[in-house]
Amino acid sequence: MPIIIIQPQAVAPPMIKDSDASSDSSSDNGGGADIDIDMTGMESHPQSGSGGAGIVTPGQIITTDSQWMRGHGTQLVNSSTIKATVAGTVSRTNKLLSVSAMRARYIPEVGDLVVGRIIEVQAKRWRVDVNAPQNAALPLSSINLPGGILRKRTETDELAIRNFFSEGDLLVAEVQGLLGDGGAMLHTRSLKFGKLRNGLFLAVKGQGGGHGGGVVKSRRQTWTIDSPEGGGKAIDVILGVNGYVWIQMHVHGEGVTAETKVGLNRLDEAAASAGNVYSSQNDRIDRETTREIARLRGVVTVLAEYGLRIDEEMVMRGYREAVELAKEMDAVEDIYLGGEKGDTLARILSGR
Amino acid sequence: MATNQQQVLISPAELAYLHASLSLSPEPIRPDGRSSTQFRPLVAETDILPGTNGSARICFADGSEAIVGVKVEVEKTKPKAGAMINPEEGKEEKGDTGVEGGGGFDDDKKNYSNDWVELAVDIPGHRDDDPGTAFLGNMILEALLEDGELVKRLRINSRFHWKMYLDVLLISQPLSYPLPLLSLTTHLALLSTRLPCLISEGDEDPMFDDDWAASTNLYPPRGEKSKLSTSRPPITLLVMSVGHSILFDPTYEELAVADAVLAVSVSEEPTKPVPQDTIATPKQAKDRALRLLSIRSIDPPSRITPPGVPNGLNPATNGEVAGLQPKHAEARTAEVPATEGVWKAPRGGVSRSVLSAMVFKALEKGGVADEVLDGLQGVEMASEILE
Repeated sequence: MPIIIIQPQAVAPPMIKDSDASSDSSSDNGGGADIDIDMTGMESHPQSGSGGAGIVTPGQIITTDSQWMRGHGTQLVNSSTIKATVAGTVSRTNKLLSVSAMRARYIPEVGDLVVGRIIEVQAKRWRVDVNAPQNAALPLSSINLPGGILRKRTETDELAIRNFFSEGDLLVAEVQGLLGDGGAMLHTRSLKFGKLRNGLFLAVKGQGGGHGGGVVKSRRQTWTIDSPEGGGKAIDVILGVNGYVWIQMHVHGEGVTAETKVGLNRLDEAAASAGNVYSSQNDRIDRETTREIARLRGVVTVLAEYGLRIDEEMVMRGYREAVELAKEMDAVEDIYLGGEKGDTLARILSGR
Repeated sequence: MATNQQQVLISPAELAYLHASLSLSPEPIRPDGRSSTQFRPLVAETDILPGTNGSARICFADGSEAIVGVKVEVEKTKPKAGAMINPEEGKEEKGDTGVEGGGGFDDDKKNYSNDWVELAVDIPGHRDDDPGTAFLGNMILEALLEDGELVKRLRINSRFHWKMYLDVLLISQPLSYPLPLLSLTTHLALLSTRLPCLISEGDEDPMFDDDWAASTNLYPPRGEKSKLSTSRPPITLLVMSVGHSILFDPTYEELAVADAVLAVSVSEEPTKPVPQDTIATPKQAKDRALRLLSIRSIDPPSRITPPGVPNGLNPATNGEVAGLQPKHAEARTAEVPATEGVWKAPRGGVSRSVLSAMVFKALEKGGVADEVLDGLQGVEMASEILE
């Protein structure tokens, strides 16, 4: 069936359960008026009366009761009226009202692992799209030189800047620092970071992407699947905190998941052996591995589309379920996860 | 040839991966796991705009969304330039109308004018006179006019006709080349178009029934008695080739590695009008003969993608840090031999056999166009049941 046509449906209620509200109801017994009562008392916005689960738009009055405190995504006017400043869902923690945005860009924080794309090459630095309000900067001095040579960057390096990264290249990096205006400075001074190859890119909404979905910051942003289905080669998954995802064939001793036990003094040796940091040449990738990479990408897409959390646990669970589903549902095993199959997968993963 | 020359920001390594994955034989592996003839799942509905004669909305899962509204108004048919000079021909035309009442199918083509249909495409972030936008609109319009069936349906009598305005609006950013999306939405909107019921007869000034419930479908559903033929509006499909793989409904990143991209417009071969006393059986409806209306080649964005640098020519992978000999500096632009795993933008044309395979795959019985027409037919029926 080459075409799947879905009947349009009414807007579904947000998938995320208001965990704050449930924990709050037990702890907040004597705490005065409940927000639900408060909001139904409001004149003009019937949709916010439904227990705060509705969507508010910027400028919409959330409450006029002075007992609430304003949190993120809100603004206080007239000392008691709280207005939303972003479009999203109202959430509350005790007396704090905040609005989590439906769509938000990634706000960089020091130490985040991000996947970025070079947008612009300047004299001494690159401009990198990391899904943040501003493009991040990657200075020439913050990258490893091939061979791990440690020295000052010269004019020669500046002239050859496109040998390292040029426009459109994808890279994995870490946020090294933040500028006053919120822009991020990146670095790739580790063999774990650098140019990406042998794989597929996928952009989902990142942290802060509202509705509880998107890539969440977790213990491990990158991991290796050693024995994927179908007997392909090992596959690395890189979940950038900024919502950019990279799935690649694992190359032994290379890339973000490589075991870097090398100290600084052995850095040059290791770098010389893994001299492919700036390579844009792919290795030979067999059919089985390609298929599993596409399947993993499908799993992440489903997680993103249904507003589910994206982290190692969910992706791996989703991947195993997808393999099972494909075996169960299709006569000919099919890796496509659109339409009904995506629904089923999301239902299994969200436990409903 | 259309230009779709927007700079693609995809790294050479990604392009090389996509190309390798899409040109796998026997069956390519698409990045989203679809099979080569599969469309992205879409959400479709009709009759969404109350102020129009017909409207439809289609959304792809990736977020691209289009709305089409159809508006018609009565317009006086301009006499042909020839008719002004030669009054006999005008008489002849009048004579034709007598025949028209009975058949309406094989009457004189001179009566119809392609000016009766106007189509405007609006794409956010692009000017109306942008060559890309204009080309998109013309491709959709070309199929509609080339089919000939639409204009025939707009005739009221020898002096009046319906003037049709099609407004095609892409709501989202153009994430991939929006031609199939816009064409399918236009198809659905035309299927849902209703015209007021004519109560005047012959060449009188047209009078219409006020009751909207009495209005008639521009394209009557199958099985309904009608003097018009049972054809459907045409659709335009986007087909691309990579190596020997032929893919339908390509995404943005797939287009970035395409060897060739074709827009193939297809319609049904008009069947003879169903006689008033018999009703088309489902079997008859299924026996559809497809007709090729037009083929346009679209310049794929792959031609302007940056080439990859083989490791052997890349100073950054040789460990020669400061080895900035001129020959290395030129290595990026100079001709490099094709190396496995290194992206190189496609050049030149594609072989005739691949082109004919692309068209054949779209047109064959039970092929993509057939299934898509069936699928869209289902949407129209579903919305009628809801009413």
